[in-house]
Amino acid sequence: MTLITDRPGAGTARPYRFPQVVRRTVAGGQVVAAHLPGQNLAVALLLLDAGASCEPVGKEGLGGVLAKALEEGTAHRDATAYALAVEGLGTELVTGLDWDSFQVSVQVPVDRLSAAVELLAEAVRTPKLDPEDVRRVRDDEATALRMDWANPGPRADAALRADLFGADNRWGRPMYGDPDSVTGLDVEDVTVFHSQWFIRPGTLIVAGDLERIDLDALGAAAFAGAGGGPVDRGGPIEVPLHNGRRIILVDRPGSVQSTLRLGHPSPHRAHPDHVPMTLAGTVLGGAFTSRLNHLIREVRGYTYGIRGDFASSRRFGRFAVSSGVQTAVTAPALVEAVGEITRTQVGGVTEDELAVARSWRAGQLSVELQSPRSIASALTTLVVHDLPDDYHARLRESLLAADVAQVSEAAATHLHPEALTLVVEGDAAVIRDELTAAGLAEVIDAG
Amino acid sequence: MPDSGYPWPIETTRLDNGLRVVVSEDRTAPAVAVNLWYDVGSRHEPDGQTGFAHLFEHLMFEGSANVAKTEHMKLIQGSGGSLNATTNPDRTNYFETTPAEHLELALWLEADRMGGLVPALTQETLDNQREVVKNERRQRYENVPYGDAWLRLLPLLYPPRHPYHHATIGSMADLNAADLGTFQDFHRTYYAPNNAVLTVVGDASPAEVFALADKYFGAIPAREDIPTAPDGRNVPATGQPVTERVTGDVPAPRVYVAHRTYPFGSTGYDVLTVLATVLGSGRGSRLYQRLADGERLAQPDLVGAYGVDLAHAPAPLIVTATARPGVSAERLAAGLSEVVDELVTVPVTATELDRAKALLSTAWWRQMSTVDGRADTLGRYATQFGDPARAGGRLPAWLAVTSEQIAEAAAEVLGACDRVTLTYLPEETP
Repeated sequence: MTLITDRPGAGTARPYRFPQVVRRTVAGGQVVAAHLPGQNLAVALLLLDAGASCEPVGKEGLGGVLAKALEEGTAHRDATAYALAVEGLGTELVTGLDWDSFQVSVQVPVDRLSAAVELLAEAVRTPKLDPEDVRRVRDDEATALRMDWANPGPRADAALRADLFGADNRWGRPMYGDPDSVTGLDVEDVTVFHSQWFIRPGTLIVAGDLERIDLDALGAAAFAGAGGGPVDRGGPIEVPLHNGRRIILVDRPGSVQSTLRLGHPSPHRAHPDHVPMTLAGTVLGGAFTSRLNHLIREVRGYTYGIRGDFASSRRFGRFAVSSGVQTAVTAPALVEAVGEITRTQVGGVTEDELAVARSWRAGQLSVELQSPRSIASALTTLVVHDLPDDYHARLRESLLAADVAQVSEAAATHLHPEALTLVVEGDAAVIRDELTAAGLAEVIDAG
Repeated sequence: MPDSGYPWPIETTRLDNGLRVVVSEDRTAPAVAVNLWYDVGSRHEPDGQTGFAHLFEHLMFEGSANVAKTEHMKLIQGSGGSLNATTNPDRTNYFETTPAEHLELALWLEADRMGGLVPALTQETLDNQREVVKNERRQRYENVPYGDAWLRLLPLLYPPRHPYHHATIGSMADLNAADLGTFQDFHRTYYAPNNAVLTVVGDASPAEVFALADKYFGAIPAREDIPTAPDGRNVPATGQPVTERVTGDVPAPRVYVAHRTYPFGSTGYDVLTVLATVLGSGRGSRLYQRLADGERLAQPDLVGAYGVDLAHAPAPLIVTATARPGVSAERLAAGLSEVVDELVTVPVTATELDRAKALLSTAWWRQMSTVDGRADTLGRYATQFGDPARAGGRLPAWLAVTSEQIAEAAAEVLGACDRVTLTYLPEETP
C-alpha cells in the first residue's frame, strides 16, 4: 500500500481573534465597525429597527415593497440615474428583512465606500415614493411572490408557521408576506411605513480596512436628516405547544417529491439554553453526519438532504426539520424523522456526536468569518441581540465547554416530538392513504 | 487600476508522480483552504454513462482505504471545517476550509481517496448514492418550474457527441444502469495525481505544504495514457436558428436566448463577460432598462444574462426574461432578441462600460476575499491554463475591453441565424 495509514493529529491551534470592534456615536446614530487590515473590499450596512414584526397584521410584505421602492428614484435623481450611480461604483443596494430588523447594504472596493454610503442614505432617507411607481413595484412584488410560491416550499412553510404561531399574529404569517397580502397593499401603507420606521437613525455597520475608512464621515452621511427616539422592541412571546401531533397536507398534484416541514415552537434568542440547544440541533440535524441526514440520506437514500435546527429571533423561536423526499417514500421518511427526533429527546446525545458538533460550530467562527460580508453579518448579530464586543470569542469558549449532560438536557427540555406539526407538500392523491396508515397523527388538509 | 487581480504570493511545484501543488500563503486568518481540481468532468462521459462523473463525486465521500464510510465529512466538520465538491462539464473539484492546525488531516483525507478509493467502493454504497443523486435530480431539475431549462438548452446548443451535449446531472436511465465495475474503472482512469492540481491557500507556508504533499501524495503512482475527452472546440455554425417550446406547470411565460460564444480564458470570452454584464447585470443593464423598466414586458427580478465559464469549447451565453402578467411569450421573445441584436447596432457607451467594469471588479474581489475563493481560482488556472498566476490577468483583461470589441463579438457570435430560443408556456387553465 502506498498510502499513509495513520490519521495525523492536529497541529498547534492558532489563537482565535474576532476582528477589533469599534463603536461610536455619530450624528445621533450608532456606528459599529470591524477592522479588516489589508482587505480590498468593504461593506457598509444600515440596520434599522424595521423588521417584519413592525408590519401590521394583514399588511405582510410591506417592508419588501418599500425595499424595492427605495430604488425607484430619490429626491435628487430618477430611478435610472440612481441605478447608474450605484452600479457605477461597482455595487448594488442589497436589502434584507428578518423578524427583528431591516438591513440595506453596499459592498465595494474600499476607496468607493463613502460614495456608496451617501447613495445608500439617499435612497433610504429621501426616496421619491411616487404613487405610480409604488403601485407598480407592489404589483411586481406580488408577481414575484406568485412566481416563488409556484416552487415547492413556500406554501409548506406558511402552513407550518400558521399552525405554530397562529395566523392571527404577524409572526404566524409568512415573513415576506404572500401574493395576496402584497396585492392588498396601497400607496399610503408604504409611505406611512417609511415615515414611521425608515427615518430613525438606526445603526451603521462597517466591515473593512478602517485605516482607509472615515467612520465619522460615513456616520454623518448615513444619519443626516434622521430623527426619532428608540423603538420599543417588545419582550419574548409565550407560544404554547400543541397537545398532540398533526399532519397538514398541502396538495401539489404531480409532484415527484414531497416537501417536508416538521416543527414546533422553541425559545427566543436570549434564552440561557441557546448554546446547548444549538448543539443539540447540530447533532440531530445540522452537521452532514447528523442523525437525520445519516439515516434518511446516507442509509436510506430517500433524499438529497435533510436538516433540522433551532432558530430564534428576539421574541420567539422554532425548531424545524426540512427536506424533500421521493414521493414513494414520504410516509417512511416521516416516520423515521420523527423517530430520530424522539430518540434524541429521550436519550440525549453521545460524546462522539457532540465532539463533532462543538468543534464544527466553534471552528466555523474561524472558517466562515473571513469576508467583509460575513463580518458585517456577525456585527449585526451583536447589535440586534445587544451582545458585547467579545461575544464571538465567548461563544467559541461556551461551545467548546458544553458537555453531554448539558446538551442532552437541552434536547430533553426543548424537543417535543409529541407536539410536532408535520407539514407535507406533495401529491395528495398518491400519499394521503399512506400518511393516514402511518399512524403518526391525524391528516388535515391545508386550508 | 490594479496591475494584477492576484496580489498575493503564489508558489508551485510538481511531485515526481505529476501532482501539481500550488500554495498561496496568507496569514490574515487562522484558516486554510485545500482544493483539488481533477481534470475530469461530464465532457468525458460516453453515451450511456451520462451523470457518472457527478455520481462518482458522491462516492468520493463514502470511504477509502483508511477512512470509513461518511468519516470524511465527520472528520472535517469535527475539525471545524467546511467542505464540499462540485462537478461540471469541464472538471470535478473537492474542497475544504479548516482551522489551520488541521491542514495535515485534510491532505491525508484527500490523498487517501485519490490513492485508495477503489478497495472501499461497495455495491451498497453505489446503490445508496445513486438514490441520493436521483433525488438531487428530482429536487433541482424536475420538481421546480423551469428547472430543466439547462438540460434542454445544452442539446440545442451542442450537437450529439459534442462533450457539452448532455448535462452533468445525467439521465435517470443511465444512472439506473450504473454498475460498480464502471466506477472502479473511472477512478483508476482519471483519479491520478498527474490529472490533478492540489491548491492550498491561507495560514500555511509553501515549504510546509510541499513537504506534506510529498509525504501524503508522493507514493501514489501516476497513470500513463489518461484518455482525453472528445474535442469540442469547433462547433460548426448551422446557420439555422433553433427554437423549442415547452408547455408545462410554470407560473408565467419565460424565454431563454442562448448562443455559443468563445471558450473561457480566451480574449473573446473576456469581451463576452463584459458584454453579458452590460446586457443583463443590475438595474442599469440594457435588459432591465429596456424590458423591465422601459417597455415593462419583463418581471424586474428575473431578467439576466450570463456566460457559463466553460473552457473546452465555445461557452454558452444565456439571456433570459420572464413575462409580466398579460405579456405574451412572443412579445417577450421579440423584445429579448431586439435587445441582443442591438449589441451590434447600438454602441455600448462609456457609462455602460464603466458600470459593467465596476460591477465585475467588485465580483472579482469578492471571490478573492476568502481563502477558499482564492484556492478554487488558482486551481482552475493551473488546471485549465497550466499556470495559476494567470488568474491575476483576468481582472485587468476585463478592464481593457472596449466598446468596439463588444460590438465585434456580438456581430460574430450573437447572430439571429445562430440563436437558440427556449420558451416556457403555462398550461391553459380549463
